[in-house]
Amino acid sequence: MTHSMAQFMRRCSSRFRPRVLAAALAGVLAIAGSAQAAEPDLPGFIHDGTLTICTNPTLPPMTFVNGNDVNAVDGIDMDIAHRLADYWHVSMVVTTMDFTGLFPSLAAQRCSMVASGIIKLPEREKNFDAVSYQDTALVVVARAGTPPLSSMADLSGKTVAVQSGTSYSARLAKENETLVQAGRAPIIIQQYPTEDQVVQQVLIGRVFAFASQDVELYYRQEQLHGKVSVILVPPYPEYGHFALYIRKNAHDRELLDQAIATMGQNGQMAAIQKKWAISPDVAKALANTSPAPMFRWDTFFSALTSTAFMRGAFITLAVAVLSHFTAIMISIPMALALNGRDSLLKMALKGYVSVFRGAPTLLQLLFIWNALPQFLPIFREAWFTPFLATWLSLSINESAYQVEINRAALGAVDKGQELAGDALAMSRRQVYRHVIFPQALRIALPPTINEFISLLKTTSLASVISLQELLAVTQIQVARTFEFTEYYAAALVYYLAMVFFFLFLQKRVERRFAWADRHKATANES
Amino acid sequence: MNPDPKTMPDPSAMISVRNLSKLYKDFIALDRISFDVQRGEKIVVLGPSGSGKSTLIRCFNRIEPHDSGILSIDGKIINAQTDLTQLRATVGLVFQNYNLFPHLSVLDNCTLAPRLVKKTPRADAAEMAMRFLQQVNIAEQANKYPIQLSGGQQQRVAIARALCMQPEVMLFDEPTAALDPEAISGVVGIMNDLAQQGITTLCVTHEMGFARHIADRIIFMDKGRILEITPPAEFFTTPKTQRARDFLDQMISY
Ligand SMILES: Nc1ncnc2c1ncn2[C@@H]1O[C@H](COP(=O)(O)OP(=O)(O)O)[C@@H](O)[C@H]1O
Ligand SMILES: [Mg+2]
Repeated sequence: MTHSMAQFMRRCSSRFRPRVLAAALAGVLAIAGSAQAAEPDLPGFIHDGTLTICTNPTLPPMTFVNGNDVNAVDGIDMDIAHRLADYWHVSMVVTTMDFTGLFPSLAAQRCSMVASGIIKLPEREKNFDAVSYQDTALVVVARAGTPPLSSMADLSGKTVAVQSGTSYSARLAKENETLVQAGRAPIIIQQYPTEDQVVQQVLIGRVFAFASQDVELYYRQEQLHGKVSVILVPPYPEYGHFALYIRKNAHDRELLDQAIATMGQNGQMAAIQKKWAISPDVAKALANTSPAPMFRWDTFFSALTSTAFMRGAFITLAVAVLSHFTAIMISIPMALALNGRDSLLKMALKGYVSVFRGAPTLLQLLFIWNALPQFLPIFREAWFTPFLATWLSLSINESAYQVEINRAALGAVDKGQELAGDALAMSRRQVYRHVIFPQALRIALPPTINEFISLLKTTSLASVISLQELLAVTQIQVARTFEFTEYYAAALVYYLAMVFFFLFLQKRVERRFAWADRHKATANES
Repeated sequence: MNPDPKTMPDPSAMISVRNLSKLYKDFIALDRISFDVQRGEKIVVLGPSGSGKSTLIRCFNRIEPHDSGILSIDGKIINAQTDLTQLRATVGLVFQNYNLFPHLSVLDNCTLAPRLVKKTPRADAAEMAMRFLQQVNIAEQANKYPIQLSGGQQQRVAIARALCMQPEVMLFDEPTAALDPEAISGVVGIMNDLAQQGITTLCVTHEMGFARHIADRIIFMDKGRILEITPPAEFFTTPKTQRARDFLDQMISY
């Protein structure tokens, strides 16, 4: 690391000499504890005295959940963000989300900065400003015992896993062009949403190798128990730096540059690197641990009883119940209108149903979270949490399905019932409330509970917009520990328990509708 | 007997219609109907299927709004401004297929409307319901659901349910058409009792016994028109129109 640290310093000093000198001076003054130290200029991306960080905490040691508390994001990036907040005398808030959501969120002004172990790449700098803070190198990693390769061309015809949304796949595609031109088989690229799944593909032997950053691998060594090793360090100079990304603004970028340079000068950077042990020496020392057992029951049980999982399951349940409740409330008047006379409203409702049944739920979630703020700025404010966004999105989506159930149920109630209600002088409201709805409810309830069970599982999609529901919690824990089987099994237990509970409820509720079945009604009586 | 269609409705009559017409799109279901029903009168409406009998009696509680002509119930002109709650509380209707509320017990079927519409306290509504259920000989089934009852029992509950609103007019639309002979005699017996108590009754039925012995007058309809309004003795012995004769012949052979 001393080597890369030196490189880091070199890069800084060669590129920003005049400013760095000024910053160094400021740093020295700060260390001296002088009160006259000039207050650093506040960058424009800081709002209300808060530095908001967007991160996908599945990339140790840069950014990850280091423990059972899914809200406590830790890592090099977080340490740096803390130091930056201190530097500007502001507070810091971390927003976690799926990797693919990071840049859209930055664009939607949902955060000041993306700090998520992201490589500094020219393509990304077209749309955002980047300031590098840590040297790194791309490494190709395979199962321990795989002979080292001499060049990327040796990967021809082999399968390589990468994290989707990262630039690795584009880089490998470029490599493939060369291979194809030379008449050789291309590298088969598989993309996975999280880094831990990428690693898992190698561990289970599905893919030959994965592409990653060296610092991550050093850190992973402990969890991986020496099961993988670096087989190639390709000469990709462009993968040399991790960077912080902000919205394009020359002045802000300069201020961020200064801040990072100051941290380099005053030793804060070195302390962070030491803390996270991102050097090859550490990796070697850790490599010789004993192999892990097949299934760690203690991990499984502690996951099962952890507050993180309970909280995740609660959020899953809460967002599903609220969304479905709202969907039912919206869809009842919708069903009445759709069963009524032709009108403009009815046509609009038909359009609504088609659109929201037609579009994938995942797309709707991403649209509401990432695209909506572009049109309506109020949706980028802090009150619009992932929970609210999921609630909104799933309510709308589910109402489009629920309306069909409601329509069928209302249509299945005999027309004579309404006539009888009318003839008994009951008002429209009373007829619906006391005669039609109770009968429609019996017809609608079984398919509605089926819908709900399906919705309960659909909530797992909300992990892409950073809702900390059960699956997101599971993935974060897996990223931290690599104990796939144990955490997946714990999540499965939670999902099954919830689903079985509602299936049980369905049976119980059906028994309450004994009036619809002569035998049951008679049986109940006795 | 037949009022002049040009005169104004009779305010002292329970039901008074003048030139009443009803269209479904361009199909004339009721064609300029005029007649009066005095308080306490029992009328049986006869006529072949599709002649407009159901449509006519459904106009009286405005479940089917009429398109032209004048309709007056209990001295009040019925039109779009009429308070339907009050009208329908005055005019009870019993359907051919009962239309009981399947999700409510027999007792709750009877108490629902009084409680909701008249705000009768639950206990009072139940007490009254039990009285009427007793009258239709079904009190012991009060806590059963409709699905547990036979057709005849269900129709008797439907009659009790209508009576619980304490109407001044009872309309019956073929109340026995869906019943087997045994059940029919039970229901007709109850209609006899009601007629005896003096409630104004309009009944669409093919029960010749009821028509002959209970009805004060027979209204014979065909193709949306009234062809005859006569006392039963006259109607069954010397029908004036060929249509009525054909109808009666058919009834007998059937
Ligand atoms: N809602 C409706 N729409 C169109 N035509 C109807 C409707 N209700 C009844 N009709 C028609 O009006 C005529 C009279 O019907 P109805 O009063 O039910 O006859 P009845 O009770 O004498 O058998 C029939 O030809 C029937 O087809
Ligand atoms: Mg009829």
